[in-house]
Amino acid sequence: MTRKTIQVTPGRCIGCLNCELACASRDWGQYFPVGSKIGLVFFSEGGQVPVTCFQCDEAPCLKVCRTGALARNEATGVIAVEPERCVGCRTCVSVCPFGNIAYSRAGRRAEKCDQCQGAPRCAAACPSGALRYVEDEEEAKARRRAFAESLRQAVTVA
Amino acid sequence: MGKDTKKVSGTIDGRETSVPRGSILLRAALDLGIGVPTLCHHPGLPPDGNCRLCSAETGGRLVASCLYPLRDDGFVVQTRSPLVVEARRFVLGLLLSRAPADGYLLGLAGEYGAKADPRLADGADGCVRCGRCLRACRAAGSEAIALVGRGWGRKVAGPFYEPPIDCVGCLACAQACPTGAIAFSEEPRSIWGRDFGLARCGSCGAILGTPGELARSGVEVTLCPSCRRREYSRAVASLPPAQS
Ligand code: SF4
Ligand code: FES
Repeated sequence: MTRKTIQVTPGRCIGCLNCELACASRDWGQYFPVGSKIGLVFFSEGGQVPVTCFQCDEAPCLKVCRTGALARNEATGVIAVEPERCVGCRTCVSVCPFGNIAYSRAGRRAEKCDQCQGAPRCAAACPSGALRYVEDEEEAKARRRAFAESLRQAVTVA
Repeated sequence: MGKDTKKVSGTIDGRETSVPRGSILLRAALDLGIGVPTLCHHPGLPPDGNCRLCSAETGGRLVASCLYPLRDDGFVVQTRSPLVVEARRFVLGLLLSRAPADGYLLGLAGEYGAKADPRLADGADGCVRCGRCLRACRAAGSEAIALVGRGWGRKVAGPFYEPPIDCVGCLACAQACPTGAIAFSEEPRSIWGRDFGLARCGSCGAILGTPGELARSGVEVTLCPSCRRREYSRAVASLPPAQS
């Protein structure tokens, strides 16, 4: 099975927040920005970029979880939270270097992007092609490099 | 761990099933859609088998299904036999004597005709001594609390019944407690008779957690998740850090 990934092309992002809306409404039934697992970072210099979990190869969150609540689906490479197993120790929240996992007091569990188990709503809702759910043939490293490059462009163009 | 791909077959409540050898009975029953009541079991924590609510009958004796591995071909398990129902009623009576107001236990007590024992009313502090809190504490990386004392007087406490010195205030125990017996406050943070300061994000001031909780995670944390996202994105975009 080919792994798929949410590809971010920041230069295309128009800042419409449709991705956040689509994500938040899955779990909360309404637009609840802090409940979204994808978030737009707006730069004061202008420009913005959608950020969500990178499903890291060497995932720090996965390493610290001692209850098995965080587990990687080996077929898809996606790391998801199994809520029944989470005891809410919040260690994963501390160790994610990118701030892409949060503890939800309302849900009493850690929450992160699980790419909607194969049909990410953010990518479907993105009108500009900034988020695309595509087959991932490159190595994670190359992917991150491309992301960094496009980010740089986004900001200089803006 | 040795790979044991051999399957064993048998019946649970008369339904045929085939599972990898060593599968836990509770899992096998749930996979068949057979509901088994549990209390001390928590899917993310090591099983302990202390509450006996999940009892099932096999070979004429009672076993705790949350612990019991299916090892032999031809197993025959009953999760609702008269022996099981009687055991469950008894266990529910004891649990209810501990936590007489718990909705989940009350529901089961109604179903099984169980009642709290009035002679045990002095121990009705809401805690069923299931030890999920202790196991959650350990899984989170601490060992602050324990079940101390003996018999009916046994209870969960810190060393010497004092507020636990090794507690970092993460609240995992309170979250794992099935009866909500552990009093706590998120903000300001307090639990087990201790108050904890809360560290704040160096950029926006959002609450990060208690200093002990952050130290236990093994990384230095100075920014909240959303400011981490911001700083990370700025770094990747070669922008200077934001002025706070
Ligand atoms: S305080 Fe809660 S989790 Fe701990 S032993 Fe009592 S009932 Fe179980
Ligand atoms: S749930 Fe199995 S003994 Fe408590």
